[in-house]
Amino acid sequence: MSEYVLKLEHIAKSFFGIAALKDVNFGLRQGELLSLIGENGAGKSTLMNIVSGVLRQDSGSLYLNGEPYQPVKPSDATDAGIAFIHQELNLFTNLSILDNVYINSFKKYPGTPIIKKSAMAARVKEVLEAVDLKVPPETIVEKLSPGERQLVEIAKALSSDPKILIFDEPTTSLTTRETEKLFAIIERLKEEGKSIIYISHILADVQKLSDQIIVLRDGQITDNDKKENFTIQRMISSMIGREINQLYPDKTNHPSGEKVLELKDISQSGIVHKINMDVCKGEVVGMFGLMGSGRSELARIVYGLDPHESGEIRVHGKEIRGITPQKAIQNKMAFVTENRREEGLFMEFTIMDNLSLVSVPEKAKTKLKIVNNDSVKESTQGMVGTLKIKCPPIEKNPAKSMSGGNQQKVVIGKWLLTEPELLIVDEPTRGIDVGAKYEVYSIINQLASEGKGIWVISSELEELMGICDRIIVMGNGEIRGELLREEFDKESIMKAAFNQNGKEEA
Amino acid sequence: MRSKEDISKLLLKNIPILLFVLVFVIFGIFSPKFLSMASFSNIILNSSYVGIIGIGIMFVLLTAGIDLSVGSVMYLASASTGLLIANYHVPTVVGVLGGIAVALLVGLINAFCIIKLEILPFVTTLGTMTAGRAVGTWMTHSESVNLPKTITSLGSQKVLGIPMAIVLFLLIAVIAAVFLSKTQLGRQIYAVGNDPEEARKAGINNKKILFTIYMLCALLAGIGGIISVAQIGIVNAAFGKGEEFNAIAAAVLGGTSLAGGSGKVSGTVLGAVMIQMIQSGLVYMQVDMYIQPLISAGIIFIAVFLDSIRARYMAKAEARNIRNENLANG
Amino acid sequence: MGVLPKKTQTKKKNPKQIVQSMFLSEYFIFYLTVICFVCVIPFVPKIITRSNLLNVMSNLWPLLVVAVGQTFVLLLGGIDLSQVSIIGVTSVIGTVLMSDSFNEGIFSKTPLWGWLIGPDGGPLAGSSMAIPICILVMLLVGTLIGIFNGFFVAQFKMPPFMVTLVTQMFLLSFAIFLTQSRNVMGLPDGFKELGKGYLGGIIPYAAILTLVITVIGYFILSKLVLGKWIYATGANETASLVSGVPIKKVTIFCYAFSGFCAAAGSAIYSARLNMGRPTLGEDLTMDIVGAAVLGGTSLLGGKGKVTWTFFGVLFYTILFNALNLFNLSYYTINIVKGFVILVAACLDVVRTKLAVKISVQDEAGV
Repeated sequence: MSEYVLKLEHIAKSFFGIAALKDVNFGLRQGELLSLIGENGAGKSTLMNIVSGVLRQDSGSLYLNGEPYQPVKPSDATDAGIAFIHQELNLFTNLSILDNVYINSFKKYPGTPIIKKSAMAARVKEVLEAVDLKVPPETIVEKLSPGERQLVEIAKALSSDPKILIFDEPTTSLTTRETEKLFAIIERLKEEGKSIIYISHILADVQKLSDQIIVLRDGQITDNDKKENFTIQRMISSMIGREINQLYPDKTNHPSGEKVLELKDISQSGIVHKINMDVCKGEVVGMFGLMGSGRSELARIVYGLDPHESGEIRVHGKEIRGITPQKAIQNKMAFVTENRREEGLFMEFTIMDNLSLVSVPEKAKTKLKIVNNDSVKESTQGMVGTLKIKCPPIEKNPAKSMSGGNQQKVVIGKWLLTEPELLIVDEPTRGIDVGAKYEVYSIINQLASEGKGIWVISSELEELMGICDRIIVMGNGEIRGELLREEFDKESIMKAAFNQNGKEEA
Repeated sequence: MRSKEDISKLLLKNIPILLFVLVFVIFGIFSPKFLSMASFSNIILNSSYVGIIGIGIMFVLLTAGIDLSVGSVMYLASASTGLLIANYHVPTVVGVLGGIAVALLVGLINAFCIIKLEILPFVTTLGTMTAGRAVGTWMTHSESVNLPKTITSLGSQKVLGIPMAIVLFLLIAVIAAVFLSKTQLGRQIYAVGNDPEEARKAGINNKKILFTIYMLCALLAGIGGIISVAQIGIVNAAFGKGEEFNAIAAAVLGGTSLAGGSGKVSGTVLGAVMIQMIQSGLVYMQVDMYIQPLISAGIIFIAVFLDSIRARYMAKAEARNIRNENLANG
Repeated sequence: MGVLPKKTQTKKKNPKQIVQSMFLSEYFIFYLTVICFVCVIPFVPKIITRSNLLNVMSNLWPLLVVAVGQTFVLLLGGIDLSQVSIIGVTSVIGTVLMSDSFNEGIFSKTPLWGWLIGPDGGPLAGSSMAIPICILVMLLVGTLIGIFNGFFVAQFKMPPFMVTLVTQMFLLSFAIFLTQSRNVMGLPDGFKELGKGYLGGIIPYAAILTLVITVIGYFILSKLVLGKWIYATGANETASLVSGVPIKKVTIFCYAFSGFCAAAGSAIYSARLNMGRPTLGEDLTMDIVGAAVLGGTSLLGGKGKVTWTFFGVLFYTILFNALNLFNLSYYTINIVKGFVILVAACLDVVRTKLAVKISVQDEAGV
């Protein structure tokens, strides 16, 4: 018996001649939780896809309990006792939990193709209990919350009685309470002797859960040590490959007292309750809250994408009734949504079309609204220069040909071409690398210096503390607190955001 | 307050059944004859072939596909059967099997184009619809084919006093329902309809699923065509034309979504019977022949309309409340 | 992937590259048409005679104008199955207004008898403005039906397939109901000219009507903000909504334009027959959608052009003209029709895959 349940030796993989993984070596011990961290594109997913049989390495070998292991398809990994819990939920929402667990391995009445539910229901109940989910196996997944669905994913993984579990960003769609529940389950699984690989961007969680931490950068392991020896600072510098002296640009904006946006008692039952807030000219207002706190939902309401039952939205003191995205744009609002791919960009369209879409009606002067090609060309090229967007010629190439960071800049650029006075940005740096993050922060800072009001929504507290003049904390659809820059304090902000737990226990 | 909401939810969930009952009651009031047992059995008899084809189409709709070729398949299958028996004097059973084999051949072509060549189902089946009917008219020299007594007598045969067509209809419906809800392949059809990419990742053989459903759809279209022709006794060049739309309407009226992933056999049966009930009801009420199809189309429109409202309302009602009122601050 | 211009453009191309670039060109279907046409000449020299070419053209115009309308709806990712019935219903409505006599025995049973038509014809019988007014009425009716379709698709998110399918069934029955399935005859002499006449002896009236509408369609899609909005809505509805695109108005416009174009096609078809016929557009769905898709317009939305549709219709018309000249039977032609659609769709799949492969190779610098 080997010391390691899973061991990887000299794993390398490249796509179209570009190396994604170079000489990766590590081992996972029984009952151990090993965290894998690294920036997007560092090679974490590629590595885990090799372990779970989705991809095949170019060279190097894998060992399972000392025996050579080479999966060629996902079911090989399952058979070998490796279960993968994916980042995005891989459940069929129109089917029951039981169907989902057994979708490709239903038990049948002997000699017939007829499904024997009773033979599976007991096992499903068992694994549901293991993850502390108290619903019957016949429940249709559609009816479950994202958190409950994540638990079903884990239950599904447990049903094949795996020895090794791989979690890929399991907490992204969970509320705080659900996350805590998940961590308790992970602890229990460890006690039962299961080995776990945990992939996450949330370094605090990594520090809390891990026994061992491995850092990947550009397809190579740059750091590998016991948890005790790691500080968050060390994780970050190993991830980005340099000492971080300045993560955020120096602030140069000066908030004036003039209010661009005012919200008065905005309520929508089940979503947000009596929200009062404002954003001033030249001010960067941060909004911190956890998943499901109502932060993005509030922005969608203010921008007119979702309805609200009561309350006033004022822009420059003027009330806007029955707001729609069109009215919002007319009133010089801009909204960079959190889902860049689904809501921000037209991936197949050219970069120029993407940049010009919102501003093109304004630039079309005639009554018929004929597109003014010269002005479109000039303004979009100008924006590429201003935001330092690195891209192929914008007239011919589609948006999908750019990197994530540059795509995000295109989304911001498309809004800047409308010369907005209020810019709402939701998770502006999600999924982009550290260098691009810095540039996005600089753009935000620059815009505020030019006198625009900026409302930044983020679940990364450090980021907000680095760039904002004021932070509003949301929780359970309400405003939980508000802090000025000089009052910024991680602990009190977190306390306000997590407040619901304390209240509940009381 | 709460119970009121629950009731409206319940009503919305069961719109197909409600509509069915409503249509039934209205026709019953205007024409008492409509409520007689004979008329009822007649309605089911007449809806049997649309129902069978509708079940086939529903399989395809479950995967978010579409099959426009079923009308042509009906024609090809029944014309082949007729020609085999009339011109080549094969036994009835062989003739019927021959017709079904022709139907399966079209299914095979559809499946090949959709799975191997990756052509969109709409385009594929539009092509086989046109070509299939053309082949049929070429085979028959666009003349009507009379079917021999051996087939038409099947049409009037009864089992335990129930017409053969109804027995077959119910049998097929039950088999289809069991297949969809109680077999692995059946459950996987729903999975593929929900998300083909995830289905592939879960190890499901999507190609096998698509092959199965397009073959089943063609098979049922062939059977439906022969059952229908056994009642009429003659296949003319326009036989089965437009039936694809009746069958799709039956499935959609029964709650099958064109977007894939949801639909039930019972709903499709209900939808088929409802379409026939409307048509028969209008006949019983002696509505002008030219106005009948207008009213049928109008009722179908209302049904589709209500269904889309229901879908939107349900989505809203089931949307997760992110805010917990019990935890509210003051 | 660099910012440098592609070098291949300056290099001399070998024949393989030329074929490849033709195959991948957006005008592929046009090249195919030319090749087909040239290949057919040795076998049926008749194809290049003046009378045959005129025949091809006269078949081209009505199909083109209808297909242009369909292109707008396909761009949204929708489909308009009701066009075929709009053709029938507008044919009937337009012609009954200007017909100069109705056989009492036949038409007295129609719902129009007495209040709109009588033994002396429709209300516009004999009027000098009858033809333009009737055509305007047809266009108006077509547009209104389109607005109806668009409204239900946009406002209630009903599946376009079902909405237009039901309007198709309803309108066909309605057209038949209006004339009790009779054809409308006795139309003014001038009307026939729209189908067969030439302006100044050179340009067919049908061509003028079609080309004006086609150019308008082209202009909207390529020059107007509205065109950008149509592509955006078809490609990504959520992103369009966030970007302030008035998606409901855009959707209604596209269906309205589709109905408008169907009515224009109906005017030409009716004039060619010199009668109003309730089932005029029956069986055309295949030709309309087929021609648009052949041209390269995607059924999934966001991709398509009026010029592509023009080439698709050209290919379609010439191919079937050639088949007719080969003296093939009606059935054979229909079999070939179905087959051609499948081959064209298949080629499209292959081209898309090849294009992706080449661009991936470019990126990897292979």
